[in-house]
Amino acid sequence: MPRRPTRCKTMLNPQPLTFSPFARSAAQIASIHRDKRQTYKSKDQKGFPLSSKDKGIPKHTLEGKSDLSGSSEEEGSEGVVQADFVFFDPKPDDFHGVKILLQTYLDDTQWDLSGFVDLILAQTTVGTVVKIEGDDDDTPFAIVTALNLGRYKDHKCIKELKEFLLKVCQEKDVIRDLRLLMGEQAHDVGLLVSQRVVNLPPQLLPPLHDALFDEVSWATEDEPTAELRNSFRFKCYLLVSKIYKHKNANQKNNRNLIRRSGSDGGDGIVYIKPEDENFHKLSLWSFSFPMHTQQVETQEANYCLMGFVMAVETAKISTFRQQLQSLVVES
Amino acid sequence: MATRLMFENSCEVGVFSKLTNAFCLVAIGGSESFYSTFEAELADVIPVVKTSIGGNRIIGRLCVGNKNGLLLPHTTTDQELQHLRNSLPDQVVVQRIEERLSALGNCIACNDHVALAHTDLDRETEEIIADVLGVEVFRQTIAGNILVGSYCSFSNRGGLVHPHTSIEDLDELSTLLQVPLVAGTVNRGSEVIGAGLTVNDWTAFCGSDTTATELSVIESVFKLREAQPNAVVDEMRKSLIDSYV
Repeated sequence: MPRRPTRCKTMLNPQPLTFSPFARSAAQIASIHRDKRQTYKSKDQKGFPLSSKDKGIPKHTLEGKSDLSGSSEEEGSEGVVQADFVFFDPKPDDFHGVKILLQTYLDDTQWDLSGFVDLILAQTTVGTVVKIEGDDDDTPFAIVTALNLGRYKDHKCIKELKEFLLKVCQEKDVIRDLRLLMGEQAHDVGLLVSQRVVNLPPQLLPPLHDALFDEVSWATEDEPTAELRNSFRFKCYLLVSKIYKHKNANQKNNRNLIRRSGSDGGDGIVYIKPEDENFHKLSLWSFSFPMHTQQVETQEANYCLMGFVMAVETAKISTFRQQLQSLVVES
Repeated sequence: MATRLMFENSCEVGVFSKLTNAFCLVAIGGSESFYSTFEAELADVIPVVKTSIGGNRIIGRLCVGNKNGLLLPHTTTDQELQHLRNSLPDQVVVQRIEERLSALGNCIACNDHVALAHTDLDRETEEIIADVLGVEVFRQTIAGNILVGSYCSFSNRGGLVHPHTSIEDLDELSTLLQVPLVAGTVNRGSEVIGAGLTVNDWTAFCGSDTTATELSVIESVFKLREAQPNAVVDEMRKSLIDSYV
């Protein structure tokens, strides 16, 4: 169904989620906001008090406004919705919301997800939960954090996560590196957990990632014990994510048959989270594995959902941050 | 005794199962451990039946039943209806009803004697409930919520309701239902009792996030500690054995 480019949607409208229309609607919001006033305040103050529970200040106000007044839309009651997103430190009350966001983190395996969520919420110094200001429900819309694999290696959830990743990795040359990263080098590896509702506005991505990486660097200075400070000196980040891969992408003969729908970069992969593409290009190695969880029907019937694991060196992160800024501006 | 378990990483056990004094329904497609936990507790006492309703796995929220009968929404397919009729004991009347509010498990909560119903339920449906399930039907709300099936769960021995239920409401409901009621939570603070917990007169199943405190409240209000299945099943033993043979 064609969407009129003048309407923009903010995340409070329930929408059927498909690729091209989502990319288009995100593009609309971004293009309209480029000129409009945006009250972004990124955390460039270094001495920002990490101990405060409520970060409050970095508010990101997004206004969806249509330039043409009086245009009617056939898709239900889509008005202008203003949403103020606020970044918070993780706290124990967020348990249920974060658990729902991470429900399909490891496909449909039964693992200690509750323990994993507890771990994330206990680490208040590094980690951000995105909520809407003044929302009575207090539901998290996004969670981003980095967990040191060595520090938490004795926790049941981390052990199960490692077992799962080793089990699903089908590529022999990668499995050696994976084993190394999760075993001997675990204390230098951060598991980057980033999960959000699918239609979260992409303008939030640069400040969200900035917040995470800034917190990691502040933690290396501000944590009370030397051991904790060192635990945040990551040399490498491990990411577990999801992508849509074209079913014929592996077969060289069928390259002509791959549909150029415009939303994939030609390599047969559609990234659910746009920053994953940047991470992929900068990654040391990556592998994908088939998933069993049912997903929303997509228009692109030839694509199948796959889990995607990548390792990204810390040195590449500053490049990533710059790329992310331009990614959002362009789209 | 109350048992903690998970369905495919979800702690909402009451969504994927339906437990009564005469039978237990379990959703298909979950891991075998989900089914086998029910089997381990119940196999020699009441039949445990794997099913879907209208192709859905959320059977606990779509149907409502007790030892006398089982009511299914209009979305149930003929095959599913036949399968249930074949698998359940004869004295359990299985009926499919035409009701606009098709999530019967969310709209109706019942034990073997009394039922609480959604305020907007059809008159006709109310009569069918009274007839098939052999209960007295009361239209009520729980802490202001009309989805009574979601926010409370009760057996013949006791009941658990939404944590924000006022004392007056608790007293009123307790008088109507003639069982002791407690306002509490399940699955680590979840208010949706009906989704997190499924219970009958001698056993209960709840999500693995349920804390020890919540579990002890459940065990005490539903009187599960001293409960033995034999006391309840003896009454029904004749009809159950007939159907197994």
